[in-house]
Amino acid sequence: MLKRNWMFGFVLLLAALTLLVVGCGEPEEVVDDPEVVEPDEVVITVAAGAVGMELELTRDLAEMYSEANEGVTVNVLDTPDMVEDRLGLYLQFFEAQSSEVDVYQIDVIWPGDLAEHFVDLYEYGAGAVADDHFPAIVENNTVDGRLVGIPWFTDAGLLYYRTDLLEKYELDAPQTWDELEEYAQIIQDGEREENPDFWGFVWQGNAYEGLTCDALEWIASNDGGTIIEPEGVITINNPNAIEIVDQAAGWVGTISPEGVTTMAEEESRAVWHAGNAAFMRNWPYAYATSMADDSAVAGVFDVSPLPAGKSGSGAATLGGWQLAVSKYSENPEIAADVALFMASHEGQKYRAVEGTFNPTIMDLYDDPDVLEAAPFFGSLYDVFINAVARPSTVTAPQYAAVSELFYNAVHDVLTGQKNAADAFEELELDLQDLTGFPVE
Amino acid sequence: MAGKNDLDSSKKSKAPPKMGFSDLAKREERLALRLLLPALLIILLIAFYPLAQVFYTSFTDRVFASGEETNFIGFDNYRRLLSVHVTELEPVLDETTGQQLTDPDSGEKVFERPLDILPREPVRYRELNQFNLFGKRYVIGATDTNFIESVQNTLTFTVISVFIELVLGLVIALVVNSKFRFRGSMRAAMLVPWAVITVVSARMWEWMLAPSRIGMFNALFDRLGIIESPIAFLASGGYQLSALIAVDVWKTTPFMALLILAGLQIMPEDIFEAAEIDGAGKIRQFFMITLPLLKPAIAVALIFRTLDALRVFDIFQVMLGQSTYSMASYNYFQLIGNRNMGLASAIGVIIFILIFVFAVSYIRMLGVDEE
Repeated sequence: MLKRNWMFGFVLLLAALTLLVVGCGEPEEVVDDPEVVEPDEVVITVAAGAVGMELELTRDLAEMYSEANEGVTVNVLDTPDMVEDRLGLYLQFFEAQSSEVDVYQIDVIWPGDLAEHFVDLYEYGAGAVADDHFPAIVENNTVDGRLVGIPWFTDAGLLYYRTDLLEKYELDAPQTWDELEEYAQIIQDGEREENPDFWGFVWQGNAYEGLTCDALEWIASNDGGTIIEPEGVITINNPNAIEIVDQAAGWVGTISPEGVTTMAEEESRAVWHAGNAAFMRNWPYAYATSMADDSAVAGVFDVSPLPAGKSGSGAATLGGWQLAVSKYSENPEIAADVALFMASHEGQKYRAVEGTFNPTIMDLYDDPDVLEAAPFFGSLYDVFINAVARPSTVTAPQYAAVSELFYNAVHDVLTGQKNAADAFEELELDLQDLTGFPVE
Repeated sequence: MAGKNDLDSSKKSKAPPKMGFSDLAKREERLALRLLLPALLIILLIAFYPLAQVFYTSFTDRVFASGEETNFIGFDNYRRLLSVHVTELEPVLDETTGQQLTDPDSGEKVFERPLDILPREPVRYRELNQFNLFGKRYVIGATDTNFIESVQNTLTFTVISVFIELVLGLVIALVVNSKFRFRGSMRAAMLVPWAVITVVSARMWEWMLAPSRIGMFNALFDRLGIIESPIAFLASGGYQLSALIAVDVWKTTPFMALLILAGLQIMPEDIFEAAEIDGAGKIRQFFMITLPLLKPAIAVALIFRTLDALRVFDIFQVMLGQSTYSMASYNYFQLIGNRNMGLASAIGVIIFILIFVFAVSYIRMLGVDEE
């Protein structure tokens, strides 16, 4: 009797769990299901990011394309937020030479590494539009004369700050890291009285590619080079780099939460979004989300270039994503057409207006609609075109390993396991072993 | 093996003598073999073939997801993973007095820096650890400190989490084995954590352990006034492993309890009645009867859990990413992050051998095959 009872309970539990799982399924799944598609219809799958409003906007563009082109259905596959995880997913498709995904959204640091898996977009009519885009990005995406990705949006690190709090404490937007440190402390001390969850400055400190971006900005702004220079010289072990990274380690637990060393873009944005930070380092996408209705900071924030160190001017890491067409696609021509549509004047404008994703088409920076949605595109134009590139081209195909060594070294300094001098001395040896490049 | 069994059975002399039946027995053996053949073939195909492939790849420098040419490089991958070097650190002496220098900040004696001492050719040894022996200071260097540390992390994680799960699982099993109302629903409810997908529960715990008052633990500690400022559980070395052990214990204790409960349910009631009559107390009954009879069930549960814990991947990957590795998550990083398929295969082989050793020694120690 009791045994039956137990079984009965177990079955009930299973049933409840099944219902739960079924209930959680997204309604979009039905639309994405290839079985609903007519037999002679072409299905193009785009693997795209889901940071902030990204996914929503990509889905909109996919729908626009499907509506305009009968017989083609564009599906969007959402992929992990962390760059490493997304690369991992892509590599599994490539290893299997899978035709499941036709168009890939690829990071600005990947073209060199992944070129062998993509078609040359020049063969599919990209030549007509390539000159409209920032030349530096087109050059970055060109491997051995082949255009492996059409630029989709560019990124550069920005400083977000609270205009209301700066006014309240009679401060200006900080021009240097020292000022940022000082102001963040002042505001934090003041706000803490009412809001114990308030922090001065949030950024990306987890051990991942984002920390490479953040740390490169500190170092480049302090005249400390770019880890490995474009001509293949390792420069990371220098006093300016050591000084600024030690300074950043001092922020952890003072003006930034201890947990900043576990934060990626979205974790730091969550703190900012809730109104719990005075300053944030993030990419342009956070502008649109911060203006949204559910944001505590809507209308009371602005963006500026990142603060300067010794060099006298701030530095922003060049980010951004491209669309590439898989060599293993069954319909490369249609896939290339989808990619070129999404990265077209129309597609980029839509994303710029709706989601403040930076266009890579130069004309769009003069477009009144775009400037109305994101006024900083005009004022920070210089930041975007002068952004500092990570050493991905010079170290290809070993950039991932270089970056892992770098962000783990910096992470060790931030969590207090080492000081920057020791960490970078060791990093220099590691980079020498890995790349064989000489030291400055 | 067969000979030993024959001897045993003839000693016991309960089984009928086998002579005269040998023909039939042989025929049956052949039939059994033929019936087993399809299963064996499938195992060969799905288990041994990939395993052999991994063994082979581990001797090459193959790059994952690339058309690059692959070279045979012998034991290089294993050498890179396992090379360890121990050397003495000389004290740093003051040039004028000849006395050993002490650090003005910490007051500790100063030794040479491992970075200057450890060999750099042909591959660099990184500092893994330092220890004192007979008044001298030694440093352990390894060519791949990440891997050695990942082995240490995994072993620590396994031993502690499986031990706690065993103790808690035993207690829970004993409780739900006793008779009370709603016992059935209690048993079902207890399985909930185990039924949740590991990645989902890891994410859930990640939020509960969040380094601000968004996180349940920090909110709770803050309310109770235990902490000054929020703890970043997943950021610093000290808390990381303990947090993961807590998650694993929460998740798999029900499984442990379930296996032990199964062992408890087949226990005959009359032994306990007899013990009762003989005047044995509850505690004595537990240690003299319950525990020995539970041994096979516990052994099975322990083997399952230990082998599982040694392969731990999901919670390390989700909660710690690239900052601290388990063996499996380091394997994943080398394969996917670094695209170093040869090295990743070598790690796979080492994990395989380690788990194999654990499995065999467990079976020997607990005498499972004799039951």
